[in-house]
Amino acid sequence: MFNEELKAFRRLGFRHVLLQILNFASVIASGLMIWKGLGLFTNSESPIVVVLSGSMEPAFYRGDLLFLTNPPNQRYNTGDITVYKIPGADIPIVHRVLETHDVPNKRKRSRSKDAVKTPQNSSLPNQLLLTKGDNNLVDDIELYQGLEWLERQHIIGKVRGFLPYVGYVTIAMNDFPQLKYALLGGLGLLALLQRE
Amino acid sequence: MASNLQELLDGKIDFIGQQLVENLVHYVLVIATTMSFVAGFATQSLRVTFGILGTSTLLLALVVVPPWPMFRQHQVEWLGGGGGGGKENDRK
Amino acid sequence: MHNIVARGNNLFAFLSSCTMALLAAIALSSFLFTPIPTGVVDITSLKVYNVNARRYRNRKQEVALVNFNLTADLNSLFHWNTKQVFVYLEAKYENTQGANNTVVIWDRIVRRKEDAHINFTGKNKYMFRELSTSFKNVPPANFSLKYNVMPWVGLLTYGEAARTSEPIEFPPVS
Repeated sequence: MFNEELKAFRRLGFRHVLLQILNFASVIASGLMIWKGLGLFTNSESPIVVVLSGSMEPAFYRGDLLFLTNPPNQRYNTGDITVYKIPGADIPIVHRVLETHDVPNKRKRSRSKDAVKTPQNSSLPNQLLLTKGDNNLVDDIELYQGLEWLERQHIIGKVRGFLPYVGYVTIAMNDFPQLKYALLGGLGLLALLQRE
Repeated sequence: MASNLQELLDGKIDFIGQQLVENLVHYVLVIATTMSFVAGFATQSLRVTFGILGTSTLLLALVVVPPWPMFRQHQVEWLGGGGGGGKENDRK
Repeated sequence: MHNIVARGNNLFAFLSSCTMALLAAIALSSFLFTPIPTGVVDITSLKVYNVNARRYRNRKQEVALVNFNLTADLNSLFHWNTKQVFVYLEAKYENTQGANNTVVIWDRIVRRKEDAHINFTGKNKYMFRELSTSFKNVPPANFSLKYNVMPWVGLLTYGEAARTSEPIEFPPVS
């Protein structure tokens, strides 16, 4: 059965195989380019995220796709849905802003000992935020790992757009790693064997 | 027997059939999409929209994917091989 | 197109393009509806108490207790692309150190058009605290009812349904 494939492979010739590899690489490279370009445009390190937990149900379910922006000269408002990542925690969290406190800049240094670096835009007041998942009963203070407030530097972006279910593929791939390898292998083989 | 099964799984159709299938997929899907949007908007229901799109796609797949005889009416007449082996090749 | 796999593939590829276009059209169609939500926020009482808030770093602090009446008609926010509406009552004030604060004190998720008439009487759902732990000398606060429309597909939109006509003063600790 594999003889046939092997024969086909040999018939394609060395240059052809190289060309296919180049094609494959260019697909991956353009994907990466779009991703990074989008990140630059939205000022967010990860402009598209997949919802991983049910804490925002019934708004967002596991597998929904969220589009984020993080404009540097805009403050966050209550009701905005943010994606944040606390240093030390491994996955970003999608929760809604419950409280905002715009502290004038100079006071901040004395009161916050958690300040790691100055915010990107010093003309903006320093914002202290408190978030809560729609499906949780209480606010997120336990999730902050000792921080009292969420600050701008922890936030990856604000949810702007929404596309249901599409991201479930990645969750399925995480839950069943075999699927990931099967898919990658299959795609690679197809790309190499495809003529023209 | 095995080659018969292979042929069934392959489901080859002729060139004119291919053209027909291509056009059919194109027009039917575009019309179904437009209709589903209009109907959904009129009834204010996304269920209607995706119901229409889903059922029409299923019907279209039934029509288009299997090698129905109507896609095989224009079989290409191959010329026989040069060495007078025409009879043998006819069987294919 | 010659065999079953190719035809199935072709159909699926074109179907996904069509679905993308359809989703984009649905997302854009949300902008055809102009929402005109109406409502009234009436703060019936505002009191300040000393409490022991064990969850937070500043345990001994003052909290405000707000009693309010809420009526709102959010019918116009519901159309075919509305998954749910998140309604929240927020307090906005500036404290004595010059910090601008907004605090959500109550919220509700409305999932069906039948529930779009909100009629609520009660007190705040979330603890209303102050950064400096004290509401002493804090200027009056404005209360407003805001909403966030979350679509099945597309962009999230925000708006305001009602606000108090004049700021409410924080009384001394009782």
